[in-house]
Amino acid sequence: MSERLTKALEFANYRLTLNNQIVALRSKVQTKLIHSINGGTFTISRELITFVDSLIRQDYTEEVVLIDNFQNPIMIEDLKSFLEDITSKYFEVTNDYHSEFVKLRKARKVHKLLDIEQDD
Amino acid sequence: MTNGLLFFAHNNPEIDYLKLACVSSSMARYNLGMENITVITDSNSYEYSSKNLDVEKYIPNLILADKDQEFKTRNYRNYRDTNHTVKSLSFYNANRCDSFDISPYDETIVLDVDYMILSDSLNNCWGHKNELMLHHDVKDIQSKREDSWRRVDDLGITMYWATVCYFQRTAYTQSFFDVVKHVKENWPFYKELYGLPGTLYRNDYSFSVAAHVMNGFQSEAQEQLPIEKMYKTFDWDDIHEINDVNDITLFVEKARTNADFHLCRWKDVDLHIMNKWALQRHADTLLEMYYE
Repeated sequence: MSERLTKALEFANYRLTLNNQIVALRSKVQTKLIHSINGGTFTISRELITFVDSLIRQDYTEEVVLIDNFQNPIMIEDLKSFLEDITSKYFEVTNDYHSEFVKLRKARKVHKLLDIEQDD
Repeated sequence: MTNGLLFFAHNNPEIDYLKLACVSSSMARYNLGMENITVITDSNSYEYSSKNLDVEKYIPNLILADKDQEFKTRNYRNYRDTNHTVKSLSFYNANRCDSFDISPYDETIVLDVDYMILSDSLNNCWGHKNELMLHHDVKDIQSKREDSWRRVDDLGITMYWATVCYFQRTAYTQSFFDVVKHVKENWPFYKELYGLPGTLYRNDYSFSVAAHVMNGFQSEAQEQLPIEKMYKTFDWDDIHEINDVNDITLFVEKARTNADFHLCRWKDVDLHIMNKWALQRHADTLLEMYYE
């Protein structure tokens, strides 16, 4: 096999690994963005944060019912504290996503993508 | 209210399920902070695993149950250690339908021992509004492989996975498990009725039928676990290395190939690993890492 073809195949393997690692990272982000409270399950999203924030701005701060991922009505006693929790979790997860994503995009070899020690 | 985990672990001539249960129990203690963990096993499995391992050290509550010998001799399945090795071995999964009767907890998560708890996601279940939850939305960690497991058969009902199942002690869940038992006891009939493939008795199938029946014969009406999805690898994949706590590198077979792998690093998300030999090879490392 020519050297150029070998390099092309190596690159194909790199791309496959990169794409799969990005999908794995997104799966982790989606999993970590799930928040449970009072028997309900919420996926933390821009929409949820904005909606809760707008309710608080309209002075709905205590004993507010929100519809969760399962379409169950969930009573939230303290909406401000709920907003704090979901916002801090959102930033924790997205900051982690950002740093891991940058690391992946910078890695140009399979062993670097996977953070495996190997001589270049 | 008590919350707890329930595992079933019955060894066969090659797979030390009870040792894998010790690993799962240690991972649950570490990641979920749980002490209420019950493992159902049998005296032969206990005798064998105890030779090399202090089982009680890892499992807080161990229950010995008798095996249905007739079931044991007829339920065989193919176990793969990647596509290089395939063996037909006894697969004892007869008593999972008894989970409701056996569980000492008000809220229970019953799990397969090959489900690696790599996060605290399962803690989202406790105190949930839904009394019974299990997954049908399952995702392979090799994103390009075909997802032929969505239904029990091409024209069949939605496939629910019995791998992880959360239930509360209620009349509805009792009836659900009664239906699972009924399906198991009348397996040839339900196998024919629902077009279930193969000869093997699988809890995934009996749970799928029960989910279908108990929801008025509607598809996908049973609620799923409050986790994004259940992620899985097949038994044709392998574990390359346990890097650290909740951090594994796997050999994952490429789509549309046979035993040609790429590597995948998987962190902080629970993972169903079907290759039992792969788990066995790394069981000692995992026990050392997770047992505190």
